[in-house]
Amino acid sequence: MVILPNKSNCSHVVSAKTIMYHGCMINKSKPIVSISDFVMKFGTTTVIDSLSFEIQKGETFGLLGSNGSGKTTIIRALLGIYSPTSGSLLVGDKPFSVDGAIKLGYLPEERGLYKKEKVIDAMVYFGQLKGMQKSEARQWSLDYLERVELGDKAKTSIDKLSGGQQQKVQLGVTVMNNPDLLILDEPTKGFDPVNRRLLMDIIEEHQRKGTTVIFVSHHMEEVERLCDRVILLKDGNKAAYGSIEAIRKEYDNKTLDELFIEIYGHKESDV
Amino acid sequence: MYNLSTVIKFEIMRTIKRKSFWIVVASFPIILALVATVIFFSNKSTGQAIQDVQNESFSIGYTDKSNLIDSDLTDKLSAKPISDKASGVSQVQSGSLDAYIYYPSSISSQQVEVYGQDVGIFKNSRYNAVATTLLTESVSSTVDDDIKQVLGGNVDFDSTTYRNGEVSDAIKELIAPGIFLVLFYFLIAVFANQMLNSTIEEKENRVIEMLLTTIEARTLIIGKIISLVLLGFIQGTLILLPGLIGYFALGSQLSLPSIDLSSIPLDPERILIGFIIFSISFIMFTGLLVAIGAAVPTAKEAGQFFGIVMTFIFGPLYAAPLFISAPDSPVVQTLTYFPLTAPIPLMLRNAVGNLSLMEAIIGTVILLITTAVIIRMAVRIFQFGALEYSRKLSLKEIFGRKA
Repeated sequence: MVILPNKSNCSHVVSAKTIMYHGCMINKSKPIVSISDFVMKFGTTTVIDSLSFEIQKGETFGLLGSNGSGKTTIIRALLGIYSPTSGSLLVGDKPFSVDGAIKLGYLPEERGLYKKEKVIDAMVYFGQLKGMQKSEARQWSLDYLERVELGDKAKTSIDKLSGGQQQKVQLGVTVMNNPDLLILDEPTKGFDPVNRRLLMDIIEEHQRKGTTVIFVSHHMEEVERLCDRVILLKDGNKAAYGSIEAIRKEYDNKTLDELFIEIYGHKESDV
Repeated sequence: MYNLSTVIKFEIMRTIKRKSFWIVVASFPIILALVATVIFFSNKSTGQAIQDVQNESFSIGYTDKSNLIDSDLTDKLSAKPISDKASGVSQVQSGSLDAYIYYPSSISSQQVEVYGQDVGIFKNSRYNAVATTLLTESVSSTVDDDIKQVLGGNVDFDSTTYRNGEVSDAIKELIAPGIFLVLFYFLIAVFANQMLNSTIEEKENRVIEMLLTTIEARTLIIGKIISLVLLGFIQGTLILLPGLIGYFALGSQLSLPSIDLSSIPLDPERILIGFIIFSISFIMFTGLLVAIGAAVPTAKEAGQFFGIVMTFIFGPLYAAPLFISAPDSPVVQTLTYFPLTAPIPLMLRNAVGNLSLMEAIIGTVILLITTAVIIRMAVRIFQFGALEYSRKLSLKEIFGRKA
């Protein structure tokens, strides 16, 4: 085993087959996500051009890129919402399916809930869709709502909640099935500082449990803090791919912020 | 079909919990009761008013060139004969007479002229009422009761028709299979908007992406269609049940006309065909409206397509007499076999008994294939249109994209 240099606030212990991360053994031999030769075209526009990368089980992976670089397209194709033009996108060892073995928690960039429904009804519905028993989903939801100080809002319709309260409910729905793979697409977008803190706590909790996290973000500080490895997309392909340390070394130990500006140019760094 | 039952339960429960569902259920009996009450009081007040007018004493003059008016009757009304029309009209104009009636020499070719003081829209009708009563009563007194009945159109008929040597009643035979036509019309009229909006809600709430990672689009759409069909039956039952209970429990006390259910002929073949066509048609239009909802970004835009669909569904009703009198005409045949117009002609022709078994089978197969295609299309549109939050999908996009 080799002890890697510290990456921000955590240490890694690596062997040929496993990574020790936050006390969890990560199986390195079998990637949880494998994308190979992925091409995505919309009409005559090629959004993703022969992209290949893997995400290891248990790691937190950053998917970075400027606006329109294809981050959300990759996630949507990975989850079967878009059909790829060509290539293979596997979750586990097969294309993602809702009834597959790997439990998914997905916080999409475009997010919302059934606004006319009561908080508890919407949460229980999604819990059931994610494979939980009704009673289990109900109990989990009530406990979660207590935790995020929304215990008294369980029977309130969602449209009566403030934006911040709705974000908390959305987060709960995302993680309520204790996912194996947590995909967070621009998770802090529109979040107030309190909910951003809650989100970070939740991500860290799941990291400790060994959940694989795919983190799509423009906030380089958060990426550096949370992610083991990242991929930076440019023009539908990878501009950089690997551990944050390795990428920084390659770019003269620049911070990710500086790196982002160098790759995408000043105009796009304000995203 | 992983999670299908969860979707169906959720869709049904959340609709049933809505106030709008119960408002629709409650509004039908309330509206019917209000209409019945208005008609009842309107009829009563009209009849009463005419009676009051006839009983009211006012001065009448008349000229009888027809020689039909019975002088005994005019005496009872204290109506005074006036020799010429100009004098009668003049007396009314001067106010010395309330009304003047001029009966011309030929009632069949000339009009009876009535002149009177203006005493308001409703009370002015008393003059015509008196003129009519005088004439009909005078003529009636000259003929016997049978002729009176014939002239009054009050003759009762009892018809018996035979088919293959057996007594048959085309009107009564229409009732059982015709119920499906009425039910179809009613359910589409009440539910069409809800069907159209069932997928728009997800789109407007930006909930689709989360849904598509927990459930297949096919399962969601089929779940929605099944729940809408079930909700249609639930709402239909809730609306009809109180009426039926009220009829059988209170019918005799309210003097409602009695219906002898045992006298309604039940033709199992026509009832079965009616049920099958009704069921497939309802599912087909549910699928079509769900598909339209999935293709457009907002309820407002969906509304533009609503009228087109309704025209296809109910437009054939304008040709209803043709379906009965000329079932083999090209227009009827075209409407019967064109999938979007087929339900009404098929159900109506089945009800009146001019839809052959072969036509029913062909029509059913056409509807089945169309329903399958529409549901497939709805799933495809939902998949591709789900993330189009601000524009509607073009046909090229729907059919051009790789599945």
